Amino acid sequence: MDRSKHNDIVRHASAMADKASFVADDFAQALFPRTDVIFNDRMRSNAQQYLHSVVGQIEQRICLIATQDLGVSQQVLLGIAQGGDGQSYAMLEQSGLLKTPEMVQHLFVKTQQSELAARLLQKISQEDLESTLTRHLDHEDPAVAEAAMGLLIAQSKTTGAAGQIAASLADLPPEIAYAFAWPVTAALARLSGFTGLQLQQATERLLAAHDESAGVARKAERLAQLLDQSEADKKSISHPMRDGLTLFVARLARQSGLTSDQIVAFTAEPNMARFVVVMRAADFPVQEALSIFAALDGGDHILTAASYGETDRDRCLALVSRWASPDAYQNAERLLSDDFLDIQRK
Amino acid sequence: MTTDRKLTEPVSGQVDVDGLLLSADPLLMRLHLRCGGKEGGPLAVPELAELCRLSRRLGMNLSRPVQASDDESRIEMWVETRFSASDKTDPLSLSIIDWKEYPHDESDKVDPSRERDFDRLEGRGAIRTDAALRIIAQQMSGEAGQDFDVIGQSLLDIYDVIPPSANASLLEAVAERQPIRNQRMRQKSAAQRLFVLQGNPLIDKAGLFAGYRFTATPDDAPDVPAANGTDIKRASGKLISDSLFGMQLGPALRQPLGKIIANAETISGKLEGPLRGDYASYAKDIASAGRHLLDLVNDLSDLEAIERPEFTVAGDDIDLVDLAHRAAGLLAVKAADHHIRIDLPDESKKRPARGEFRRSLQILVNLIGNAIRYSPDGSVIKLRVSAEDGFARIAVTDQGDGIAAEDLERIFEKFERLGRSGDGGSGLGLFISRRLARAMGGSLTVDSKAGKGSTFTLSLPERKTA
Repeated sequence: MDRSKHNDIVRHASAMADKASFVADDFAQALFPRTDVIFNDRMRSNAQQYLHSVVGQIEQRICLIATQDLGVSQQVLLGIAQGGDGQSYAMLEQSGLLKTPEMVQHLFVKTQQSELAARLLQKISQEDLESTLTRHLDHEDPAVAEAAMGLLIAQSKTTGAAGQIAASLADLPPEIAYAFAWPVTAALARLSGFTGLQLQQATERLLAAHDESAGVARKAERLAQLLDQSEADKKSISHPMRDGLTLFVARLARQSGLTSDQIVAFTAEPNMARFVVVMRAADFPVQEALSIFAALDGGDHILTAASYGETDRDRCLALVSRWASPDAYQNAERLLSDDFLDIQRK
Repeated sequence: MTTDRKLTEPVSGQVDVDGLLLSADPLLMRLHLRCGGKEGGPLAVPELAELCRLSRRLGMNLSRPVQASDDESRIEMWVETRFSASDKTDPLSLSIIDWKEYPHDESDKVDPSRERDFDRLEGRGAIRTDAALRIIAQQMSGEAGQDFDVIGQSLLDIYDVIPPSANASLLEAVAERQPIRNQRMRQKSAAQRLFVLQGNPLIDKAGLFAGYRFTATPDDAPDVPAANGTDIKRASGKLISDSLFGMQLGPALRQPLGKIIANAETISGKLEGPLRGDYASYAKDIASAGRHLLDLVNDLSDLEAIERPEFTVAGDDIDLVDLAHRAAGLLAVKAADHHIRIDLPDESKKRPARGEFRRSLQILVNLIGNAIRYSPDGSVIKLRVSAEDGFARIAVTDQGDGIAAEDLERIFEKFERLGRSGDGGSGLGLFISRRLARAMGGSLTVDSKAGKGSTFTLSLPERKTA
C-alpha cells in the first residue's frame, strides 16, 4: 500500500473518531427538525457555496491590503493575496465559528432569495425581469430615477449565472461583514504564523472601506422609500414580476414595518402562510395577492381567492405588528408562553 | 399632509468619539434641540445616536433609513455615516440625504400650542392637571408666562369650589372621568380671583386617564371681594366690561348664538344623514350669519371695554416675530382655504416689544384676517418686522385691491366698511385695533394705493434686551 495513502487513512480515521460524538446530534437534527421549513439539496449546496465564497473573498482582500498596502511579505499571505487557495474556510468550519445565529440566518435568507429568484425565472425571462427596473429610470422625480439607476448598477455588479447564488462582498450587511472578517483574520494569523499587527490593521481598513450604501439591499430600500413618498407610486401595488424580486421585497417590507430578511424568510415556510398574512395586512387586492403567490411559490400550493378574502385583515395587522417587534422581545415572549413551556416539559 | 423638504444639499453633522454633537446644520440642530439636546451636548436624537454608536463599534460606514420624531412631526431620513479609517478618534460625519416630515396624527390633531393661543386670544387661562388633580401647568389670562408657584399643588388647595357645586360633586365627576362644565372656582390666594372652569379628561396613548385640561375664564363679577385693594382691572385681563352689554347682554347672546352655529354646521355638514342640497346650503348661510353675529357681539363688548375711561393694558414682554407666527397659526386653516400663503419673518429672529400679549395678538389676528378676506385666492400675505425710533414694528402686506387715498383714514372709524357688505366684517375691527395699539403706547397705520395692495403697520414701544 502506498505509504502516503496509508497516512491519509490514518489521519482520516483519527478525525472521524474526534467527531464521532456529534453524529447523534446531526442525525437528531435531521430526524427531529424544530421548524416546518424544508431545506432542499440545492439550498444546502448554495449555502455552502456562498459561505465558501464569502470567506474566500474576505481573506483574499485582507491579504491584499496587508501585502500591498502595509508591506507584509509573508509567503502564505502573499499566496492568498495572489489568488491562491485560501485555507481559513476549513479551519473556521471545523471550529464552529461560522455557525453564529446571525451568520446562519444571513445564509438562510441569501439561499432562500436565490430560490425565489430561480422560481421567478421559470415564470419570466431574465431580460424581462431586468427590464422591470427601467420603468423607474425615467421617473419624474429625479431622486427616484437616480435611486433606480443606483439599484440597477448595484444589481448588475452581483455576478452569477441565472439561478445560481452569487456572493459579493459589497452586498454583505455591515454586521455580517464584521462578523466574518475578524474570525477570518484570526484564522489567517494562525495559518500563516504571522504575528504582526498589520493583519488586524488590514481588516480595519477593509471594514472602513465597506460602503453599505453601495449594496443591493440598501439601494432597494432607498428606492422603496422614495417610491412610497411619491404621490403617484405610493398606492401602487408592488409585484415581483413588475418590480423585480429585490425591490418587491423592499417595498413590502417598508409597507409592513418588517425587514426584507423577514419577508424572504416567510416565503420559505410551508404554504407561505406568514407571507400571505403580510400581503393581507398590506391590503393587497385579491387578484394581485394570488398572482404574487403563484409567482413565488415553488411547489404546487394554491392560494384561493376565498381563503385569502376570508382571512381577517385586523388579525393579520395585529400579527404583522407583533412580528415587527424587536427579536429579543419576540424570543422572550415565545419562551415565556405557556405552549412553549408545555413543549419543554414534555 | 406632509412637509416635503427636498434637500438640495445633504444635512450634515459631526459627532465625536463620546457621542457629542460637535456641529450640525440647522435642520439637524433643530431636531437635536427639540429632542432635549443642548449645543455641544450628546446627540439627543436616539435613532441617530444609535446609528453613530453602531458605526463606531463596527468601524464601518453605514447607510440606513432612520425615523425620528419630535413634538410636532415624524421625520423620515436617509442617513449615511462616514468614518475616518486613519484615526478612530476623529469625529464621525453624518450626512442626511433625505428628509421628510409628517405631522403627528395627520387627521384631526389639535396643536396644543395653537389651542393655547386661541385660549389666550379669548382671554381664557389654561390649567393642566395630572390624574390626582395636581397642577402640572398653569397659565392664566393677563399673565405673560407660566405660573410656576402652583405646580405640584392640588387644584383644590389653590382654588375653592363655589356653590352650587361642591368639592364632593367635582370629585365625583373626576372619578367618573366626566367633562366638567361651568364650575366656578375662587383662588385661595390674596387676589381671590373668580374663574369659571371647563375641563376635559385627558386620555394617554395607553388609554389610561392622565388628568384634566381646564380652561379658566375670569369671572370677576362685582360681587367678588377685591381683597387688599388688588388691581382687579389689571388682573382680570378681560375685554368684557362690567357694564350692561359686557356683563349681561354679551354672555346672554353668546350662548344661543353658539348653539345656532353648531346646529347649523351639523345640518350643513350632513352629519345626521342625507339632506336636500338647497337645505344644506340654507344651513350654511345660517351658520355664517350666526358667526357674523357672534363676531359683532365680541366686537361690541371690546368696543365698550376700550371706551371706558379706566381702560388699561398690561405691559408684557412680547416678541413681534413670535406673535406673527402665533397669529398666522390661528388663521392657517382660513388662509389654506383660499390657497393664500402667509410669508412669515424668520422664527429665529427676535423683535422685542412691550405690550399686552393678548391684545397684540388680537390686533395681528385682525390685520391678517382682513388681509385674507380682501386678498385674491392664491396670493401671498407678507409679514415683516423692523425697528425704528424706539418702536418695534410689524407690517402686514397683502396683494388685494388696495384702498384709495381718500379712504385711508376712514377705515379706522367705527362701523366704517367702505361700502363693502357681506364679507363677514363688523366694521369695528380696525377701530378697536387702533385704540388697542394706542393704549399700549403704539400706533396702527396703513399705507395703500388703489390696485396695489395694502400694508398695515403695528408699532409698539421697543424693548431693549440685554
